[in-house]
Amino acid sequence: MTGRLTPLALSILAVAAWAVSLGVLAARPELFLAALPGLLVLATLARPVPIPRCAIAHRVSGDRLFEGGTVTVTVTVLARSPVALVELLGPLPPGAELRSGRHRAMMALRAGDAVEWSYELRFPRRGVHDLGTIAVRTRDRLGLRGWEHRHVTPTTVRVYPRIVPLRSLPRPIRTQPSVGDYVSSALGEGIEPGDVRQFAPGDRIRHVNWRASLRLGQLYVTERHRERNADVVLMLDTLAEVGAPPETTLDQGVRAAASLATAYLARKDRVGLITYGGVMSWVRPGSGATQYERLVDALVRVDVVFTYVAKDLLRVPPRVLSPQALVIAITPLLDPRFAKAVLDLAARGFDLVVLVVSPVEVTRAALAGSPADDLACRLWALERRSDLAGLRRHGLPVLEWRPPEPLEAVLVGGRRRRVRLASAG
Amino acid sequence: MIRLLAAASAAALFAVLRLTTPSVVVVWVGLLGLALAAVAIVARWPWAATASGVVFLVGYALGLQLERRAVEPGAALGLGLALLLLLGAVDLARRAGGATVHGPVVGATLARWIGLAAGSFLAGTLAMALAAAVAGTLPVMASPLLAAAGGLGSVLVLVALFRRAG
Repeated sequence: MTGRLTPLALSILAVAAWAVSLGVLAARPELFLAALPGLLVLATLARPVPIPRCAIAHRVSGDRLFEGGTVTVTVTVLARSPVALVELLGPLPPGAELRSGRHRAMMALRAGDAVEWSYELRFPRRGVHDLGTIAVRTRDRLGLRGWEHRHVTPTTVRVYPRIVPLRSLPRPIRTQPSVGDYVSSALGEGIEPGDVRQFAPGDRIRHVNWRASLRLGQLYVTERHRERNADVVLMLDTLAEVGAPPETTLDQGVRAAASLATAYLARKDRVGLITYGGVMSWVRPGSGATQYERLVDALVRVDVVFTYVAKDLLRVPPRVLSPQALVIAITPLLDPRFAKAVLDLAARGFDLVVLVVSPVEVTRAALAGSPADDLACRLWALERRSDLAGLRRHGLPVLEWRPPEPLEAVLVGGRRRRVRLASAG
Repeated sequence: MIRLLAAASAAALFAVLRLTTPSVVVVWVGLLGLALAAVAIVARWPWAATASGVVFLVGYALGLQLERRAVEPGAALGLGLALLLLLGAVDLARRAGGATVHGPVVGATLARWIGLAAGSFLAGTLAMALAAAVAGTLPVMASPLLAAAGGLGSVLVLVALFRRAG
């Protein structure tokens, strides 16, 4: 704990010194008398005082929440000796907002007094926040000496991206051997009926098709389609973003990725993640609740890292980016390097869907809304329409999402378009 | 409440100046001090409070030089206490700004200032009595030098105290 003189002591010293100096210059005893209260206060510095002692404990109501959620920080102060004045500065991480109460407190305590103080924080944006440090400053009776220290209890709050429930998802073309929700063309155990064939030794009685058997006079069985899962890889563009936090294109993209991951995992699919930007990172495809935790933990930390280097997707191991996987590229298409990477994947025969987070709407929302801004946004939208048409000419299914329109509506439209493309070619 | 206290101290400082002399120059100096005090109170800037205190002191010294009245210990001690109260109240207001206040912070601070005022009056009365007794024995020619030495000595003692305290 460091002890030091406070700015108040220095102010009093300055004023007292002025009074004494003016008294000498003007040869008037009144000025010495005016300096007397200040000098008396400063004379108390000669007396050693014990350091005020207080015990501090703090707790946070939750360690995981979704964007827009709140936590309550409760700080308890127990005075072990009389404390004339203690100032506490509770944690208020960047990006958090005070919902109720104040994150600063000032208290005067007698020995043995315990005071509890709390405030509520709202987190509008995803991230990992440290709420473990409280700055404590105690003062002596006249406020001339202060002692400062930091009370640290490691406390981290993870703010996960907001998730919207999705029912219509891009359907993968290729399935994996594990059991899932997609009806495979291969026959085996399942629910969906397939062919009817003659009974063979080893067939189960419950598979016998009694109607066909009675009509044809021989035993027939109904074969069924297998139900399989799929690998889905979400590729998130972190090369650039536009808009004002917490509604930037990257924020929207992260929310879309989290929603898609949740929906695919609920269908027993294996979901992986690649963040394509200045720093390229990935999460291997997996399924289940643990995989959900891995994915959102990675998404929470996603940020734009600028680079001049174009990253090559060949660096990604095949076990992460399997040729059988459905790749959903989530991008605002602000950086041509991402479009190039997507075209590269398409050329390598990946099953690919491009979900474009429109930067025009996000930028428009962040601007004041002058006629010039509106005109610029409209011109930009035209330019982007041409860019997207270029991607579609390569045969890529491109879904344009203009937040705040619901993601589900975009996916439903995209699903129809994909079906049409498949039947056309 | 705290800022009201600071405003009352600033008003008291201006009143002491106005009572010392009706001179227009001193009144203008007092108004400058008031303006600085207002800045300090509104913006919670301690440096503005210190500057305001110094301006009031300069005005008071100027008023004393202009009027050349007999010594008035009550007004001088009142000025000193009001100065201290202004500095303390602005400092406390700065700390309390945007903070949740628990317990009798303002009440305890006020009680300490009242105690200090009583102590100051006692010390002032004693100092004046002592000065009156000593004044007769001192040679007239040496008194400015003694006053300067006393002033320097008190400042040196304060510096020593500051260095010791941290």
